Amino acid sequence: VSAVRAGARTATETLAGRLEDVDVIVCCGSGGVGKTTISAALGLAMAQRSDRRVLVLTVDPARRLATALGMREIGTDPVRVSRARLRQAGIKVEGEMFAAMLDMKSTFDRMVTRMAPSRRDAQRILNNRFYQGISDSFIGSHEYMAMEALYELHQAGEYDTLIIDTPPSRNALDFLEAPDRLTDFVGTKLLSWLAGPTRFGMRAANFAAGPFLHMADRLLGADVLSEVAEFVADLQKIYGGVQQRARDVYKLLRSSDVGFVVVTTLEPAPFGEAEYFCSRLREYRMPLRGVVANRTLPDSLRDRTALATARALADDDKLPSWLSQKLGHRVSPGALHSLGDRWLQFHAMAERDARQLGRLERLGGAEAVRIPLFSEDASELEGLARIAALL
Amino acid sequence: VPSRLRATLPPCWRQRALPARKRGSAPTAASLNELLERRILFVAGKGGTGKTTTAAALCLLAAQRGKEVLGVDVDAKGDLAVALGSKGTSFKAEVVQPGVSVLALHAEQSFQEYLNIYFKVPRLARMTPLSKVFDFIATAVPGPRDMLVVGKVAFEERRRDDSRRPVWDLIVVDCGATGHILAQLSAARSMLELVRGGLIRGQIEWIDRVISDGRRTAAVLTALPEEMPVVETIELYGEIAKRRTVHVAMSVLNRMPPEPLPTAARRVLADVATADESVRQRVPGVAHIGADLEFAERLRTSAEAQARRLRAGIGVPVVEVPLISVRTGLATTRAVAAVLHESAGATA
Repeated sequence: VSAVRAGARTATETLAGRLEDVDVIVCCGSGGVGKTTISAALGLAMAQRSDRRVLVLTVDPARRLATALGMREIGTDPVRVSRARLRQAGIKVEGEMFAAMLDMKSTFDRMVTRMAPSRRDAQRILNNRFYQGISDSFIGSHEYMAMEALYELHQAGEYDTLIIDTPPSRNALDFLEAPDRLTDFVGTKLLSWLAGPTRFGMRAANFAAGPFLHMADRLLGADVLSEVAEFVADLQKIYGGVQQRARDVYKLLRSSDVGFVVVTTLEPAPFGEAEYFCSRLREYRMPLRGVVANRTLPDSLRDRTALATARALADDDKLPSWLSQKLGHRVSPGALHSLGDRWLQFHAMAERDARQLGRLERLGGAEAVRIPLFSEDASELEGLARIAALL
Repeated sequence: VPSRLRATLPPCWRQRALPARKRGSAPTAASLNELLERRILFVAGKGGTGKTTTAAALCLLAAQRGKEVLGVDVDAKGDLAVALGSKGTSFKAEVVQPGVSVLALHAEQSFQEYLNIYFKVPRLARMTPLSKVFDFIATAVPGPRDMLVVGKVAFEERRRDDSRRPVWDLIVVDCGATGHILAQLSAARSMLELVRGGLIRGQIEWIDRVISDGRRTAAVLTALPEEMPVVETIELYGEIAKRRTVHVAMSVLNRMPPEPLPTAARRVLADVATADESVRQRVPGVAHIGADLEFAERLRTSAEAQARRLRAGIGVPVVEVPLISVRTGLATTRAVAAVLHESAGATA
C-alpha cells in the first residue's frame, strides 16, 4: 500500500479529486468488469480525501460489495464500515463510509403507494399477481428502481457522496432508458384500449377488438387476459406520477450534481460495450467524468529489449548451442522456446490493451485510470485500499 | 494463497456438492462424446465468461463428428456467427461452417412464427395489437419472452426432413447474458403456473419435458478462474440443481493462465542471471522476461485455487481452457475446440 501511495498523483489529477464537487457518482459498465469493487474503492478514496459521508450502494446480490469491504453481509439499511477495521487494514479515513444494498421491491412498493390516488388502489396493485412480475422482471425495472432509490436518497441529502454501481444489465444502457420505458409502459394507448372493453362483457361490443381478443383467449386462456386488463386499468392511475418522476430523474442525471464513471476491462466484449456506453452518454447529454480500465497488464510486457530477446529465445536456431557452450551444460531448444513464446503471448495481450486504452481515452476525453491486474483477487480491504490509492 | 482460499470455503458448499457428485457419476456423466450425443445443449454463464466461444467450439466439434448442428444465438447480436467465421446472423438458419448453421432469436419474430405454425395465424396487420399485448405480458410476467426462446429451440429439435430424420442432430444454444439464464431454462415451468388453460398449455408441458430430460438436453456452464465468477457459477449450479430445470453436464473454465514453466526453462533463467557479460549482452532482456513470467505464475497460482474451488462446489467435470492470446473469431473458436477435444475427451 505504502509503495503505491508514494507514487500517488496530486489532488486534482486523481479521479476521486475530479469527482469531489459531485453528489452522485454512477459507475457503469458491463457485467464482470469489477464495477462493484471499483465503486467500493472509489468510495474509500473519497472518504480518505476529506471529511465526508459516503454511501456506496449496490444492487442485489450485495455479496460482492460485502466481500470487497471485508464484511459478512450488507443489508438494505446503510451500515458504516468501521474505522477500526479500516485502521487494521492500514487505511486512514477522514470521513465516514457506509454501504447498503438497494431494496428494489420496497422502492417499487413505495412508489406505487405514493402515486396511487387512494390507499385502496395502491393495495389492489400491490396484491395483483402480475405486479410481482412487473416489479421483479420488467425489463429495466431494476435499473429504474436503482435510479428511483438514488433520487430519493439524493433528495434526503443525508450523504455528501452517493456512489451507485448499476445493475448488470443485458444491455448496459437499460437504466438510461428505464424511466422512459416505464412511462411508455404504464401509459401506452393499447393498454387503455385493452383495459376499456374487457370489463363486464363489454368486449363483444368492440368490433375491432373482437377477433383479437378471441385469439388471445384461445392462446392464453380467458382469465389471464381479463386479469391483465384489470391490472392495467389500475396501473394507469399512477401514470401521471410515474411520468413526473421520470422527468425529475432525467433532470438529475443530466445535472452537474451527477458524474458518470465508465468501468471496463480491455477484453473485446466489455470494451465494445464501454465504447458504446461512452458515446450514448454523450448523446443523452449525461456527464461522463471518468473512465477506469480495470485489470490492465503491466507495461513491462511492452519492453522493447525484452521483446527482442523473447523473439531470439523463441526463434533463433543458433541460440541454444551458443548458450550451451557459454553456460557449460546443454540448454534444450524446447526450454528456450517456451520461455520466449510464453512472454510473447503476454506481450501480444499487453499490446492489445495499450491500443484499446488509447481508444478509450479518446472516447472518454480524459486519461483513463488504469487499475493493474493483481495476481490475487482484491477481495478484502487491503486489496481495496490498493485500488483506492490509484483512484 | 491457495491454502487460505481453501480454508475459507464455506462448509455448506461441500455438503451441497455431495449429492450432485453422485449424479455426476451417473450414466449421463459427461465426456465430450456423450455431451455431443445430446439433442440440445444450453451454454450458460455470466457475461464475459466465454459463453459464445464455448458454444461455437461445441458446434465445430459436433460437426467434426459428422453431425448436422444448429447454433442458436439468443442475444441476437450475431456474436455466435462471428465466432464461427461469418459476418452476422438472420432469423433464418444460415450455414456458417460445413455442418453448422446459426440462427439469431428475436422475440417478436419468434412470436409471429409461433402463431403461424401452431395457430395458422397469417402474418397480417391484425398482428400488431396482438403482439403489443404479447409485449405487455412478456414485460409484466417472467416467462413468455424466455418461453419463446426455449419454444423455438424445442420446435427446431422436433423438425424432421422428408425421410422423417431430424433436421438437426444437435442444437447448441448460446444463452443470454447475466441473470436471464435461469429464467430461460425455467421459462416453461413458470409459464405453466401462469397459463392454467388454453391451447398453449399442452405445448408448454411438452417443452418442459424435453428440457428436463437429461438424456436429450444438457447445460454447459462457463466460468473464469476468478473469485466472483467462480462463486456465481457455483450458485447458478446450485439453483439449477434445486429447481431441476436442466441437467448440468460440464463446466468450462476459460482463460486459465499457462502452467508453471518447465524446470529446464527455470534453470536457464537462473543460469543466465549469474552468467558472464557476453551472455547478458546476447540476451539482454532475460531477467526482465523472468520477472514478467513470475508474475504470470502468480496469476496461475490464484487461478488454480479458484479452479479447485469450482471443482469442490459443483458435481460435474470441469474442463480448463488456457488463456488464448489475442486471436479472435474463428481462430479462437478452433483453438478452444482443440482444447475441449483433448481435455474433455480425456476426462471420459
